[in-house]
This record gives sequence, structure tokens and C-alpha cells, in this order.
Amino acid sequence: MKPLPQFQYHAPKTLMEAVELMDTLENAKPVTGGTDLVPLLREAACRPSHLVDLNNVAELNYVREHEGFICIGATATHSQVASSELMRMAPAVVDAVSRIGSPQIRNRGTVAGNLCNASPAADSAPPLLVYDAEVRIASSGETAIIPLQELFAGPKINCLEPNELVTEIRFPVPPESSSSSFKRIARRRAFTLSVASAAAYVEMDGGVCSESRVAFGSVADTPVRAPEVEELLNGNTLDDETISMAAMAAKRSVSPVTDIRGTAEYRRAMCGVLLERALHAAAGRVS
Amino acid sequence: MEYDSILKEVLGREDYLVVGRDVVRSDALDKVMGKAMYTADYVPRGTTLLKVYRSTVPHAQIKAINTAEAMEVPGVEAVYTAADVTGNNQIGYALPDQPFLNAEKVHYVGDPVALVCARDEYALEKAFEKISVEYQELPAMLDIDASLGEGAADIHEGGNIALTTRIRKGDTEKGFGEADVEVDETYWSPHQEHMYLETEAAYAVPESGKVTVICNGQSPFLVREKVAHVLGWSLNQVRIIQALTGGAFGGKDDQGPLVAAYAAFAATRLGKPIAHVWDRTESVSYSNKRFPARIRYRSGATEEGRVAAVDVDITLECGAYANRSPFWLWRQTAHAAGPYEVDNCSVDGRAVYTNKVYGGSFRGFGDLAIHFAAETQMDRLAHELGMDPVELRLRNVLRVGGRTTCDQVLDHSVGMEQCLTAVRDASDWVSHREPAREGAKVRGYGVGLAYHGISTSRGTPDWSAASLLLNQDGSATYRTGIVELGQGSPFGHVKIVSEITGIPPEDIRIELPDTDSTLNAKPTHGSRGLMLGGTAAAKAALKLRDSMAACAAETLDIPSERITLADGRAYDAEDPETGITVRELAEEMYNRGYDPGAYGFFKAPRRFFDPETGLGVNYSVYTFAATVAEVEVDTETGETSVLRVWPAMDCGKAIDPLMIEGQIEGAISQGMGFALMENLELEDGRVMNPGFKDYIVPCSLDTPQIEPGIIVEEPYRHGAFGAKGVGEPAIISVVPAITNAIHHATGLRFNTVPVRPWTLYEALREAEP
Repeated sequence: MKPLPQFQYHAPKTLMEAVELMDTLENAKPVTGGTDLVPLLREAACRPSHLVDLNNVAELNYVREHEGFICIGATATHSQVASSELMRMAPAVVDAVSRIGSPQIRNRGTVAGNLCNASPAADSAPPLLVYDAEVRIASSGETAIIPLQELFAGPKINCLEPNELVTEIRFPVPPESSSSSFKRIARRRAFTLSVASAAAYVEMDGGVCSESRVAFGSVADTPVRAPEVEELLNGNTLDDETISMAAMAAKRSVSPVTDIRGTAEYRRAMCGVLLERALHAAAGRVS
Repeated sequence: MEYDSILKEVLGREDYLVVGRDVVRSDALDKVMGKAMYTADYVPRGTTLLKVYRSTVPHAQIKAINTAEAMEVPGVEAVYTAADVTGNNQIGYALPDQPFLNAEKVHYVGDPVALVCARDEYALEKAFEKISVEYQELPAMLDIDASLGEGAADIHEGGNIALTTRIRKGDTEKGFGEADVEVDETYWSPHQEHMYLETEAAYAVPESGKVTVICNGQSPFLVREKVAHVLGWSLNQVRIIQALTGGAFGGKDDQGPLVAAYAAFAATRLGKPIAHVWDRTESVSYSNKRFPARIRYRSGATEEGRVAAVDVDITLECGAYANRSPFWLWRQTAHAAGPYEVDNCSVDGRAVYTNKVYGGSFRGFGDLAIHFAAETQMDRLAHELGMDPVELRLRNVLRVGGRTTCDQVLDHSVGMEQCLTAVRDASDWVSHREPAREGAKVRGYGVGLAYHGISTSRGTPDWSAASLLLNQDGSATYRTGIVELGQGSPFGHVKIVSEITGIPPEDIRIELPDTDSTLNAKPTHGSRGLMLGGTAAAKAALKLRDSMAACAAETLDIPSERITLADGRAYDAEDPETGITVRELAEEMYNRGYDPGAYGFFKAPRRFFDPETGLGVNYSVYTFAATVAEVEVDTETGETSVLRVWPAMDCGKAIDPLMIEGQIEGAISQGMGFALMENLELEDGRVMNPGFKDYIVPCSLDTPQIEPGIIVEEPYRHGAFGAKGVGEPAIISVVPAITNAIHHATGLRFNTVPVRPWTLYEALREAEP
């Protein structure tokens, strides 16, 4: 088997220590689950000199409500998030993270890590995008909070500086009249990357969709929101005609590629189908 | 002796006590708990590692191999090339086209060029960076048309056609003249990767004039032969121990000898133990795959639904080496008409080299591709005739007295019709003749049949051996060269031994095959492990039984004909209270001088064929199988779910129904993978998806509801208790059952697999009015 490159391992106990390590060490990488990082190390796609393991930083492990936000700590695993009572308010997130990878991967891998890996196929991204999620970033300087979309700088590229750490993902507590859904197509039922995925969030007022947000995965350089689709939905009843117009617009809004997991044409077409299904499911979930 | 009559004639029983009942395998718990030892588990920490340095180009002359710099890398202990091979460097399985290490040419991306030994993986990696091979590149022939095209570069001396086959039975033109409908189609059956959980591995320990290799092939004796051949040693200088093996599906039959030979060669040269364990990338990129094949298939049938003629043309893609292609292509040729009686058959086959990873053994061995074509043709004929696909098949299936594609008369053990009617009835086929539509989803039913000649074909001598020793405490030691790959064949042998000798299965220990102490049973392939190996076990058990019965008779002072051996006792059949335990009997045997050991040697009936017409007796016997599948197609996404599968098989006699169920379930998953998901992606001859991430095999959630396997028992006279092989026949009918069900649901025919979502989606859009 290909050997892991050699690196020094650090296990800070507090966020302050972690930040300091990231700030002082040359060529350091943070690690939580390692489910993306270890394969990258083996493929020599990433050769850090130091690994800063955040798993012992107790203050980073939580899923909680705080000041009007639902907050996911940096070391919260997919399993932890999927089983959190709070997440019932954001069903699309549960749809996605409860089916990421395999049980072993969900028990180790973290939502923050999934996002920082910045894969266009990261399943946790589209549902968090439709909840207007933000990312809290710590470093030796000021703590910054940026919109999730800005974290994604390109395929497998995040916007973080070498000394920066993501400490939390958060999104506003959604209103009661809202719900969401995440749908994906994959080459088998589990333990595989999405060929295409869609998340839809709707707020319903009477029969009318007062606010909507939609996002797609595996169909562009990064997970993407589609504001032009949202505009077609906002203020309308979610009847078949509106939804099919939104689906048409969705297909126009994405820029997929052909690769080993599917063709560009197929992915484009599936954005429409998945969006229709996600919208129906989301609207159906609004109690 | 006719071995299907042991029960009545020798044991004097009406019912089996052990055979035919489910027994939990003695290795099951260890495997589930992770305690079972596989090859790599035997390697001590610190053992010198070996890695094969391989070509990076598909086709080239080698101008120079520079290894001096690699030798300077700290931790590197040796670098060997073909120049170091003092025994034999030619290791082709059927044809002499495959060097052990390449010195003159490379034939695919991954061709072995050098062996590097080093203390750890870091040193190996460094050494690989320091090795340079100067190539003069040649045009790469990356598909069969390129290889067969005018002016194609020769991959091996003598041209790109490795061999040809043919069958001429009856008069095909006359047959087509009588036909009222005809279909003529071309099918493509692609590569498939075995994806066994355990990768290829060998651990070799040298001593003076001898080497011991622990490894994971499928025939320890073939491994021994190849290792001795490469070293230029005699067979008794090589000891092969087959560890428990984590899946093989045919792949390790071909790779096992090579991997062991690399390790043994380096170990003897270096004078140190060597560990050679492949990682997944190596396994998927460089090991043999299911041979791809293009099959043009013309069939004609009369209005009454009789298949009057078939004309089949097979182009098999060997890849870089012929490997097992002669046997594979011959099997496809011999089974070309499917499990049907067709009077007029014309079959031509050719095996063609390309500059790609080579093909080789894989469960189903050629029959998967030929049945995909033949069974799709049957559905097309049924459609043309306006006849139910089951009905058309019933009018043509092989029955007792029927003649196969190569004119072999089947005089007994033919359960095709029973399998077909059983799955028809179990699935309530007649009530599902209309596809069921619900929203975007539509469901359909499809049927597939299969027959598969058991063991090796034509004139290849076929025999097996086993030995059995009753120890003083009544426990028994069983040795067979048939290996445990997960399938459990040796446990079937144990049940046969137990039934005959009365020794309880849990008291019989199966030794790991060891060529220094185990008798040669020939390979564990061709679904022969139980049929051939189990019959040798029965012969050994019958001998031991005679000895046990004689000793028991003397001890109990009654005639030996009255001795019954069952349930761990020897007793008087007329007075069951009078008897002794096997433990007591064993002690008596040693004290009184009755032979406590026995060996069994079994030779299969002779087969023959005429190379000119291809006609003759090709296989001792055939296993028959039928599958009905229900699929659901999402017409908006092109996704296909297999919902339910009804399997049936004529396996002669079910020695262990639970293990047959295991084989059937695994085969359905593997067949479904081939039909719907798996695809080896090659770019300029390089494998682009060498791992579980992108080589997609089905997971447990994809597995359909598998209805209880219907066992048809048409005993085979020359096999112990009438049993025939199961492992390969289980997969063959799965693929056409699924693709025929997709047709039933959607009206779409696919001549190529896998039918992946985007393929089906595009076909659905094209078919829209």
C-alpha cells in the first residue's frame, strides 16, 4: 500500500492552543475525521508537515441553538448532526448527512470537514446553502464570519488562509412555516458520491411560496445556489406549472461536466428532476 | 460405482442425516469476528517488502532498463529484472506469450519489468522514482477493431489473433430457410473486475534448496508448478500453503501463481523472507479481468416457436496475453445456442490481442457473455413471434436425450424445464404480463436461463484426490487441495465424509491445503470443487468406513453388514442400543490394527471432441439455472432498481442448502453489478477507476428481495450423492433476466451492459414520440 507521507502530529486541548499551532507551524493542516484527508495524503495530493487534530478540543464539539442560530461545532460528526433533535427544523440537512458515505464514515467524518474539503459533490453543502449558512473562522487575528458560499473557492479549493480554522457552521433558526428537502442521484444506493444533487427550501404563506432557496451539487465547480430559480418560485403557488418552469430554469443555471460519474447532459437534466422532487417534498413537509 | 446411489446401496438409509441439511460452517464466527487468518496476517513486522515495477506505456520496445540508481536508495535490498531469472521466464498459461518479467517489449500499462525489494514502503516508493525504462513506443492497439485492422501493429509474434474456434452442427442455411422469423444483433459484454475483499498476496520463506509460500491462489498445485518452473526447481522443492482466502471469483486462479512466483523468486535470490501484498490500485489496474467479447448473433425460429438455426460469431478480447482465452472462448463456443436444442448451429470464434490489461478467469467463464446474447435473442424471437418468452423457451429447452450446441447427448441430470416452470410459477409470471406503471416509475418482469458445463472441457484429464485420517480420540483430519475462498466447498466435503462415516461434522477438521502433505485435487475452478473434490472425499470416506465397520463388527462381535455408522456412533442396525462411540471405535482401530487413514482418488468420465467440427462430449455434466427478475425503472432519471428475484437451480443434489443460498445471493449481487453498474474505465490503456470509489459494485441496500432459491435435484450419476457445481451457474441467468425485465418495463433493448442511469435516460428520451 502507498505509505502516508511523514508528518508531525499535534493534539491541542483548547481552541486557543489550536489557533496558536496553526499560526506558528509551517505547512500545517487541521484534521477532524480525516475521511477526506487521509486518502489525499496517500495519493500525495496533499503533503502537510504538521497535522493539528481538533478532536480533543472539547469546546468544538456541539450541535446547539444559540442567539437565534442553529450551530454545528467543527468536530460534530455527520452521525451527531443527523441524530440531533434541533436538526428536525432543517430536514434537508438530515436527508443529506444521514446518507453521506457509510456508517463508519458518518461516525468519523464531520460536517465542517465535508465543507472545508470543498468538493463540488459534498452532500452537506446544498442543504446548508439553502439555509443561508455561515462559517465562523478563527485565527490569531479577528474571528470572521463569512457566508458558506464564499468558503468554496473552486473544485476542492477553500478560501481559508493557511493559519485559519473553521470552528463553526451556523444558520438562522428557520421559521415554523418552512421546510426543505435534499434529493440526489448516485450510482448505487449508499456509500458513493452524488452524480447530481438538489436542495430546496420553502416558506409557505397560505398556498403561496413566500420565500424559496435552491442549491445544487456536482453540477458546477462548487456547490451552487440558483437565485434565478428562486425568483420564479417566490410569491407563487407551487403548482405543477411553476415547478416545471423552475426546473427548466434550474437546468439553464448549472454548468456540469462529463466525467466518470456521469455525463454533463444527464446531470443537467437531473437538476430539473431533482429540483421538482425536492420542491414537492419540501412543500409537503410544511405542516 | 454410481455415486448418487451411496445412500441406499452402501448406507442402507432412505434419508440423509447430514447431507442436505443446513449446517453452520465452523469458520463462520471467526470470519465475522475478524479472527480468521489471511495471507497478509502471517507476515511478521519488519519483513522485506516486494513491489512489482510496471510499464507506464501500453505498447513499446524496451531499449534499456536502468536500476543502478534505485539500488543506491537507502533501504533498498535488491532490484531484479528478467536478466536475473535463471529458471524460466515464460509463464503463459495456455500459450507461450507471457514473460515473468519483460525485457524486450511491454504489452500493456502494468506489464511487469522489475522486482524491487526494500525494507519499507518509503524505500520502495523512492526506488520506483529512481528506476527509468527507455521505451521506443509502438502504436497501441486499444480495441479489437484496431488490432484486427489493416496494418495493425503485432502485439505478439504471429499476429493479433491468438486462436480460433468453430462448431458446425447440422445445416444452418437449411435451418434459416425453414425459419419464419429471424433476428440478427451484435452484443458487447465488457470487462468486469472481481473486487474480492482480500487483494493478491504472498509470503515466501526460503531455506536451503526449498521455499515455502503462504498465498491465496485457487490451486496450490498450479501455484507450485509455476513457482518451480520460474525457479527451475523440481516440484518437491516448493511448498505452497493456501491460507484462507477472501474471495477469488476466478481472478486468483490466474494471479495466485504469478504473485507467489514473484515472492518466491525474490526470497530465494535474496535469501530472506519476502512479503508481497498488493494494494487495491494494483489489484484493479493490473490483475486479469472478465474477458470482454463482441458477439454477433443470428437466430431463426419457426411460427410454432422452434429455434431452427443459430449462427454465432464471437470476437473475444484477450488484452495483452492469451491467458485462459482458449478455454474461455471454447466454453462460449460450446454453449453458444444457450440451454436449448437447436439442430443447426454454426459458431465461429477468435481471440484477439489488444494492448490492455488482460482478461482471465471470472465466475461464469464466458457463459455470462454468451447467455446475455443468447437469452436476449430468445426474448427478441418471442417478441417477433408474438409469443410469451417463457412459452418460447419451454418449446426449446434441453431435456433428457437432448443434444447441446456441440451435439453432446444429455442422457441424465437435465433439470432445465423444471427450473423454468418453477420460477414461472413462483413469480406468478402470467399475472405480470403487462408492465405496471405508477407515476414516473414502471415495473417489468424478465426471465433468463442458463446452463454451464461443470469443470474443465474437452480432453483435459479431470481428477481429484483427498485424504482422511481418524485420530485416536475419534477426531478426524481431512485434507483436500480444493481451497476455501469464501464459498465453503471443503465444508461440503466434510458433510459428505460425515454422512458416510458417521463422524460428526464438528469433529472433522479441515487442514489448510499444503502441497507437502495434501493430495492434489486440481484447481478450485469451473464449479468443480464440490463435484470433483467431494467425490474424492466420498471415496476416501467409503474406504475409512469399511475399516471402521470391520473394526466395529469385531469389537461388537456381529457381522459387519449390520454395522450402522451415524451420529458419532457405530451400532448394530438390528439393536441400536448395542454400539460404541466413534471415539471408542478409533481407539479400538489403533489397538486392533485397522487402518485409520484413507485416501480417495476420483477421475471424471472421459470426454472427447472433434477439433474440425467442434462436436463431441465437452463436459461431464451441466448445471441448469433459471431466474425471473422484477425491475422498476424511474423513467425520469433512468435509474433501475431490481426489486425481486426468483432463482432456481438444478444442482443435482443440494449437499448444503444454506451454502447454495449464499452462492445464489452473492451471484445475484455480482450479476446485477455487471448488468447495471460496473464499468472499467480505460483511457489510453490506463485504468482510470482503480478502487471502490469509482468502480461501483452493488452494496447491501441495492440488493433486491431474493425469494427462496428453488432447488431442483436431478442427480449426476458420477458425483457424490449426485451433486453438481453451483458457484458459476448462479450468476449467468441473472444478467439477461434483468435486461429482459428492463425491456418489459420500457420497451427498450440494450445490447451492451452496464445499463447505467444516463444510458437508459438517453434511450428513453430518444424513444419519446
